[in-house]
Amino acid sequence: MRAEAAAVAAPPVALELDLDVFDGPFDLLVTLILRDEIDIWEVRVSRIIAEYVVKLADSGEFDLDATSQFVVLVAALLEMKSRLLLEEEIEEELEDLDPDEAARQLLDRLVRYSQFRNAAGRLAGLWAEHSGRLYRSAPVPAALLRRATPEGALSAEVLAGALVPLLREPPAPDTSHLADLAVSLVKELRRLRLILDDTGEFTFAAVAPRERLERAVTFFALLELHSSGEARLRQAHHFGDIVVSRASAAAAG
Amino acid sequence: MRSLTRRLEALLFISSRPVPADRLAEACRCDEGDVAAALTELCDEFAPGRHGIEVREVAGGITLAVADDCADDVRRLTGAERPDDLSPALLETLAVVSYLEPVTRAEIAEVRGVSSEWALGSLEERGLVEQKGRADSPGAPILYGTGERFLKLFGLRSRGDLPDPTEFALGVAEVDELRARLHANAERRGV
Repeated sequence: MRAEAAAVAAPPVALELDLDVFDGPFDLLVTLILRDEIDIWEVRVSRIIAEYVVKLADSGEFDLDATSQFVVLVAALLEMKSRLLLEEEIEEELEDLDPDEAARQLLDRLVRYSQFRNAAGRLAGLWAEHSGRLYRSAPVPAALLRRATPEGALSAEVLAGALVPLLREPPAPDTSHLADLAVSLVKELRRLRLILDDTGEFTFAAVAPRERLERAVTFFALLELHSSGEARLRQAHHFGDIVVSRASAAAAG
Repeated sequence: MRSLTRRLEALLFISSRPVPADRLAEACRCDEGDVAAALTELCDEFAPGRHGIEVREVAGGITLAVADDCADDVRRLTGAERPDDLSPALLETLAVVSYLEPVTRAEIAEVRGVSSEWALGSLEERGLVEQKGRADSPGAPILYGTGERFLKLFGLRSRGDLPDPTEFALGVAEVDELRARLHANAERRGV
């Protein structure tokens, strides 16, 4: 099975999980699923991904190799889970199909295919007879007409002359008018976590920077804290200030 | 030449697409029987070998066409080119589409036993196959069919003019031979 092969071939991914059905390292979870000791139906793959995103944000580093391995394993889990949805139907179909029946079905398909292949032969004859015929039609716009190149108009020198400008490196675009982004999502997450730990509750207006782009990053960081279950967000009315508070243990689970 | 025949000739001269007989009758404010009789007279007048153009019934209507023996001159004058020939894969895909339309990509692949994505794309580019909406099935796949250009290039009045598909069915002896070959292959592989 491809899912198992992918899971076995991948190097370990360091991720501690705290799920409803499992508490421990991600690699152990994969192993237990493969041994049928944990039912994959009980595992919320989206929760594993959320935990990994939080871990990535915490570490502040992005290791492409480790993340690739994680994506491979998660994809393998999703494949196993989706296959379970179809397994019953496929097994039923295969059970119903004895070798004679399979041979008969193959023969039927070949017979049907031959009919269309023969029809294609007849169409080829009709094409040869009729495709060259010119019917009364509206003229093709001049811009779309294929025009023959006058003989002698093109030489190696002319072609080379046309190619050289294409090979020339274009000048680098001027980006001097673009300001560097002062705040990164990871840094903002770290800052908000510190504030949350210190105060237990704060408002968006109190912590958000003035600059529009930076405010947007702060807002994304709030959403991230909310989706990871670390913070609870409240807003009394539309466009009102957002109150951020530490999520209780029950709410976070 | 009767007056109605001359009027029909004028309509066909000015129309850049095949015109159905009922549209001709409507334009001339006469009944279709009169149009049919006048068209017969017009076809006799433009019988092959008499003029540089002919009257032809194709793609659901009547139209004027260049006489075959004059086509090369017209091409040299206008720069029009003959359409490129169709490969066996394209003809096979076109046969499936034309006989089964409206048909989905998956249904074509099921008949041919191979993916027909490239072939369908190429036929669409040549205007021989068109998208005809979406199927009312899971995923709402695109439905494909043929159009006016297909009928013109294959010289067909309508899809009903396609050769009877039962002509192409394998005979009993051919099916028996195919079955024997399948069994022989299976035995060779130890199935």
